[in-house]
Amino acid sequence: MRLLLALFLMVPAFGQQPDPQTKTGDQTAQAPAAPTDKPADQAAAKPADQSQSPAPTGEQWFTGSVDFGYRWLSDIRGNDSEYRSVLNLGAGPKLTALDFTLTDPKHRLFDRLDASAYGWGGDPYNTAHLDARKQGDYDFVFDYRNIAYFDAVPSYANPIAPGGFNEQSFDTHRRSMTIGLDLRPGKHIVPYLVFDRNSGYGNGVDEFVQDSNDEFPVQTLLRDSANNYRGGVRFEYNRFHITLEQGGTTYKDDDQASYNGTSYGDRTSLLLGETLVLNKLNQAYGIRGNSIYSKVLATAHPFSWMDLYGQFLYSEPKTTVHFTETAAGNFSLINQLLFYTGEQTLGTGAANQPHTTGNLGFEIRPLKRMRIIESWMTDRYHDAAMGFDSSVSLPTNILSAAVPLNQFLAVNYNQEQVDVLYDLGSKVSLRGGYRYIWGDATVPESPFFAPGGGSESGQLKRNVALAGANFRLSQKLSFNLDYEGGTSDHVYFRTSLNNYQKGRARAKYQLSASLAVQAKFQVLDNQNPASTINLDFRSQDSSLGIYWAPAKSKRISVMAEYDRSTVRSSINYLGLFFTPEVSDYRDNAHTASGAIDLTMPGPVAAKLTLGGSLFLANGSRATRYYQPLVRFSLPLGKHVFWNSQWQYYGFREDQYVFEGFQTHIIMTGLKLVR
Amino acid sequence: MGLLSPPARFPRAARWVFIMMAAVLGSATYGGAQEKPGAPAPPAPDNKPAQYVGSDTCQACHEDIFNAFQKNPHHAVEADKKRGFDGKACESCHGPGSKHADSMSAADIRQPAKLRPAEADKICLVCHLNQPTHVGRINSSHAKNQVACVACHSIHKNGPNGLVARKAADINQLCAKCHTDVWASFQRPYKHRLPEGAMSCVDCHNPHGSVLPRMMQTVSANEPGCFKCHGDMAGPFIYEHAPVRLDGCMACHMPHGSSNPRMLTRQNVLLVCLECHSNLPGKPTNGTLGSVGPAIHDLSSPRFQNCTNCHQKVHGSNVSRDLFK
Repeated sequence: MRLLLALFLMVPAFGQQPDPQTKTGDQTAQAPAAPTDKPADQAAAKPADQSQSPAPTGEQWFTGSVDFGYRWLSDIRGNDSEYRSVLNLGAGPKLTALDFTLTDPKHRLFDRLDASAYGWGGDPYNTAHLDARKQGDYDFVFDYRNIAYFDAVPSYANPIAPGGFNEQSFDTHRRSMTIGLDLRPGKHIVPYLVFDRNSGYGNGVDEFVQDSNDEFPVQTLLRDSANNYRGGVRFEYNRFHITLEQGGTTYKDDDQASYNGTSYGDRTSLLLGETLVLNKLNQAYGIRGNSIYSKVLATAHPFSWMDLYGQFLYSEPKTTVHFTETAAGNFSLINQLLFYTGEQTLGTGAANQPHTTGNLGFEIRPLKRMRIIESWMTDRYHDAAMGFDSSVSLPTNILSAAVPLNQFLAVNYNQEQVDVLYDLGSKVSLRGGYRYIWGDATVPESPFFAPGGGSESGQLKRNVALAGANFRLSQKLSFNLDYEGGTSDHVYFRTSLNNYQKGRARAKYQLSASLAVQAKFQVLDNQNPASTINLDFRSQDSSLGIYWAPAKSKRISVMAEYDRSTVRSSINYLGLFFTPEVSDYRDNAHTASGAIDLTMPGPVAAKLTLGGSLFLANGSRATRYYQPLVRFSLPLGKHVFWNSQWQYYGFREDQYVFEGFQTHIIMTGLKLVR
Repeated sequence: MGLLSPPARFPRAARWVFIMMAAVLGSATYGGAQEKPGAPAPPAPDNKPAQYVGSDTCQACHEDIFNAFQKNPHHAVEADKKRGFDGKACESCHGPGSKHADSMSAADIRQPAKLRPAEADKICLVCHLNQPTHVGRINSSHAKNQVACVACHSIHKNGPNGLVARKAADINQLCAKCHTDVWASFQRPYKHRLPEGAMSCVDCHNPHGSVLPRMMQTVSANEPGCFKCHGDMAGPFIYEHAPVRLDGCMACHMPHGSSNPRMLTRQNVLLVCLECHSNLPGKPTNGTLGSVGPAIHDLSSPRFQNCTNCHQKVHGSNVSRDLFK
């Protein structure tokens, strides 16, 4: 990706020379005019905004900005692993943002080329994006992301086990890339090709699980990748559209685990007077997958009062598995009261999952103010798999398992919905509807009940009432109300939506040209009164946002948002020896974020931003997370800005105090704008 | 109990009543109800219909908009005969402008920004209806909640974002304007990397609608969009963990953000697992899938309190039926 970055930096150098006829420094003529009759002062403010924006104008062939600097971290006080799991920002030189646009008034290779790159220089998330298009000829997109996934949360492991502190941890990267090309965009027939790649690599600590007797933390090497190729053609006409797409994927996973030394695992007691030990382990997965899939999308507008929609999606992913494992130490097969010093395991298997999805619907407008939307959807997949593994214990040569095991998972999901929307005048819209969901699933039965394999079946039946209202009392004031209530005869899982109601209310008010307020409230209530379940779930969320940007002063703007959310859940479960217990989960959270932008008086118009966010939660995992920030931007010239930022991160958990951290992060650098 | 009373149980036949009513209403009013969006604006009091005058006429007074529009993607309408508005791009949305040109009154021209959302959308859909992005529109809660196209898309604007936000940070800001509660979730410690600008809302959601609930994106035709990045959890596995397939990732995770590590729905793994794995011994009598609770383990020991320490392939295993490896 260094080459890619270099390419991005060099592209402007190879860009065409500016056309002297069109180059001018006056950007104000290109200020986008408001589509509505906005106040004159607001329209006048636009050019000032644009002077700092990389927005291209008709007179500039190249516009862009680059933002780079250096970041310092104070010593991280507290838990470094937690810091990396939550934040993971590092010190050093950074290219925080690169963004440019090329336009070619002569429309030779492209009409317009937009490129951007963010977070380069060791940050945990690097992105690069390129769009190039030429009207009627092509539309090209390239996207790349590299996101670090570090996770070593101490409370997630077994904190009292001798070697357990780093269990279930990962230090990996996930990289994804998309390359897409549309040919003849805007024409009636548009062929397209897309390639996606997603891969993961890194290290971690997982467990070698020895027959439920002990588990030993071992180092893992994680490597997987998936390539997706697809191509198709879109037929776009005034009366109808059809998209035909054919695609395929390939997948591979070559994870490995190894250990060499002496590990006693998580077990802290002897087993029948013996100490279990792992001395050596080599574990290797060789998983390969592929899939061919098809996609047909269609829309039609046969009459002025009717629209039709439909899609058919089919995929058939397949997986083949090869697995080898050799382990040495002192192990046990407790059901045979056998102790042995080594084992070899070979595993193989295959899985096949035909997956079909269909969706049909129409919208009819029998009256000028009425719309009726009917849709039907089905989704079904049948996963057939066969696994075979054999383990040999050494030196006793006891074959612990060598029976092929068929696994079967079949899911049929169906949904039908009708909505009636009615505009009761120009200011009020009403909506009512009904949704029926039904399906069935056959899944492998628990090994506890069916050691030799088996399956169990479940059903899903749900009736849902839908209602909504939209009030637009004026262009400045609007309300939105939504309700959804469902009752279920059957559900798949104890925690699934059963008898539930969802409600949401939202209001927006533009108090003045510079001041807007938004408020929102929503609630979800879900009950499953079955005596062995007794689920009682309720979540509420209320939020308020205030946005103030006085156009006249241009000295200050304020954004403030506050959110209050609560979750209360109780459900019966079975504890030790089937003792009835109740799982109570509580989350009472306050979240606030805001920013005050101040433009300093004086000829240089330096900008100061004060803001940040805080999150305070009480309940089952009481947490405090503070992220205040101060940002200062000083123009050093027409195209150069000196930016500096201080941010503090403070994280604390009441029950897991050993996971807290605090740090200060300071960044300073330059932003060059053209 | 909820704030609202439980809904009445709909008889199963009710949906067919709706369909029949729709069909009757449709046939009874066939063809007579709708004004074609591209048709002339409503007739003026003098009953003389307005005529198309061409974009050049608009330029005379609205030169700033006209000039900016030359670089706008919608300028294609001006030159492309495909849609039938060549030379009349302004009037493709605003309707015939002869009366407005004569009177210079705002009342004599169609102003999409002041129309009902459904009416405003109809103007956009004259060209954009028959495109793949709108296949899911019928299932889109945006469309059903009267969120007009112009709520997200600028029509005249010309800039790095074109007609809609393109950069991740800009997209997130746009969505957060309405979905303030969701954005608040991203301020929690365990979340996807949206506030950092590494991801955007549209990586997971299709704002135009999707065949999946919550307008989720799809990948490989009909798989949930989560698997675009988490391909190692897509399977199919030899030994599936049924909730992953049946209820999806959100059965255990809160993808917008959580106080709990790994965005889990509960404060520790144990309760995430036990709330499902707690049917009584024998075949479950309450109709739900799932196995008996792990009463064979000493749940009071920290060793057994993180189920995934042993059942580490909780998303599905290719080797172990117990999801050990």
